[in-house]
Amino acid sequence: MTSRNRIPTILAVGGFGLCLLVPLVVHQDYELNVLFRIALFAALGLAWNLVGGYAGQLSLGNAAFFGIGAYSLPVFHRLGAPIVVALVLGMVTAVAAALVIGRVAFRLRGPYFALATIAFAEVLRLSAKNLDKITGGDVGIQVPALFASDPSRWFYWSAVALTAAALATTVLIVRSRFGYALQAVREDEDTTLACGIDAARTKLLAFLISAAFTALGGALYASLFFYIVPDQVLAIEISEKSAIVAMLGGAGTMVGPIVGAVLLETAQELFKNWFQEAHQLIYGVLLVVVVLFLPDGIVGSVTARWRKRSAR
Amino acid sequence: MTKMTAILKVEHVSKRFGGLRAVNDVSFSVQDGEMLFIVGPNGAGKTTLFNLITGFQQPDQGVIEFAGRPLAGTPPHRVARLGIGRTFQIVKPLRNLTVRENVMLGAFLHTRKVAEAADRAREVLEFLQMQAVSEQPANGLPLPTLKRLEIARALATRPKLILLDEVVAGLPTSEALALAALLQRLPEWGVTAVAGVEHVMQVVMKVAHRVVVLDHGALIAEGAPADVVRRPEVIEAYLGAKYKQVTG
Repeated sequence: MTSRNRIPTILAVGGFGLCLLVPLVVHQDYELNVLFRIALFAALGLAWNLVGGYAGQLSLGNAAFFGIGAYSLPVFHRLGAPIVVALVLGMVTAVAAALVIGRVAFRLRGPYFALATIAFAEVLRLSAKNLDKITGGDVGIQVPALFASDPSRWFYWSAVALTAAALATTVLIVRSRFGYALQAVREDEDTTLACGIDAARTKLLAFLISAAFTALGGALYASLFFYIVPDQVLAIEISEKSAIVAMLGGAGTMVGPIVGAVLLETAQELFKNWFQEAHQLIYGVLLVVVVLFLPDGIVGSVTARWRKRSAR
Repeated sequence: MTKMTAILKVEHVSKRFGGLRAVNDVSFSVQDGEMLFIVGPNGAGKTTLFNLITGFQQPDQGVIEFAGRPLAGTPPHRVARLGIGRTFQIVKPLRNLTVRENVMLGAFLHTRKVAEAADRAREVLEFLQMQAVSEQPANGLPLPTLKRLEIARALATRPKLILLDEVVAGLPTSEALALAALLQRLPEWGVTAVAGVEHVMQVVMKVAHRVVVLDHGALIAEGAPADVVRRPEVIEAYLGAKYKQVTG
């Protein structure tokens, strides 16, 4: 590898190193929780980006995997599994669910695929509401604490680690044959097939990886909140936000979802404090503006402009 | 000379779309070492035939065999892995990827390694004289370049048989002939047989060893190019019945 290729790696490692030091400066639980959410949605956005950005399949049902990860922690723990085992079982369950959902939903293309993924997540949400014996229904269920002492810091560090792992996975994938195959699927499925690539399997594999990361994110979130209900961890807002942070930052770019999560979460938090109830409206308008004027996302637009300039 | 073997056999193949018989009881074969061209007016079923061979569509009736193996039910990516490369008449580039990356996707059929795929792509692009555009995104390239890209991508999969769907159509004559000369060199790349669909008779006459003529989904003539173009039924299919008397 040339030294030019090492610069982004050094920047990324350095960046994450700095992120880990943040709790030395920031002590308040509120602020650490905001930073936790930024890192969490960066990870969820990166997970979504594999399927929605690189493979170009607009999944709007990632809440299903988030919810499965969130509920697996208390459910498997109650059945006697240690916390770490419950976390792994949550990932396994989410991957199994992704296998089923993907097999069915990938038969559909474009908006129909998106609708099918929404439907699956909604079915899970409604099921969770009605399966009181397992999930506690709308009353909710208590989630075991992942960290006994100093939880705000540890949750923040865990979310940063999850983001780092998701980014590293993205980089490895994008630089591999699998990454090229994913992008080929996005660009033209017939051409992909003519190159001897099993397009259906390629999409499914990305979906499974995406589900595993999303489930871990769900488990972290659930444990932080200590008590969860279906309308919270299986909400369509989770799916939408996973997609939106990636699109805002730049779908199909490596760091786009991180940029998107930082901007969106920060903006949302500020607007919530400044405008109270009106923040939703401003948030909506902002999204429309981005979609209209920066369709490639922030990172996508910047790199396109930079490339044009260097080509001159 | 030893007896030639058929690398591709198409036997009594039919395909209907509703009431339209797109391909009607067509039989022909492509021999090892042969360049066969399929000609015929628009809508004669040429592209459908290619789609049937490559698994993008399944025939209603008939058998297609590649290297002695029946292809029935084989999905397109498996057909490609067996060694049939194809181009698309309506070009299908991976628009947001560079030309080199487009060709690399074909090369990935034989290697997992990105560097090896890139090397292979470079070789193929050099052969097709496309080095100048190799780092440009496919998006925005002119049609003749995209047609060449179709060939490059297919060639990178190292096919034994390559199906070329109107790759010279729409090119100026000089460029069409230059490309035809390159097509004649495909055996250097391990391509043992070529089946082309083409309108440009000048090119067909130059490179084809044998020609089959399709009209309204049916095979109406087969033979050496110079011979086939003189046949009355071929002239009728192309120009209409009234020219048959004059020329035939």
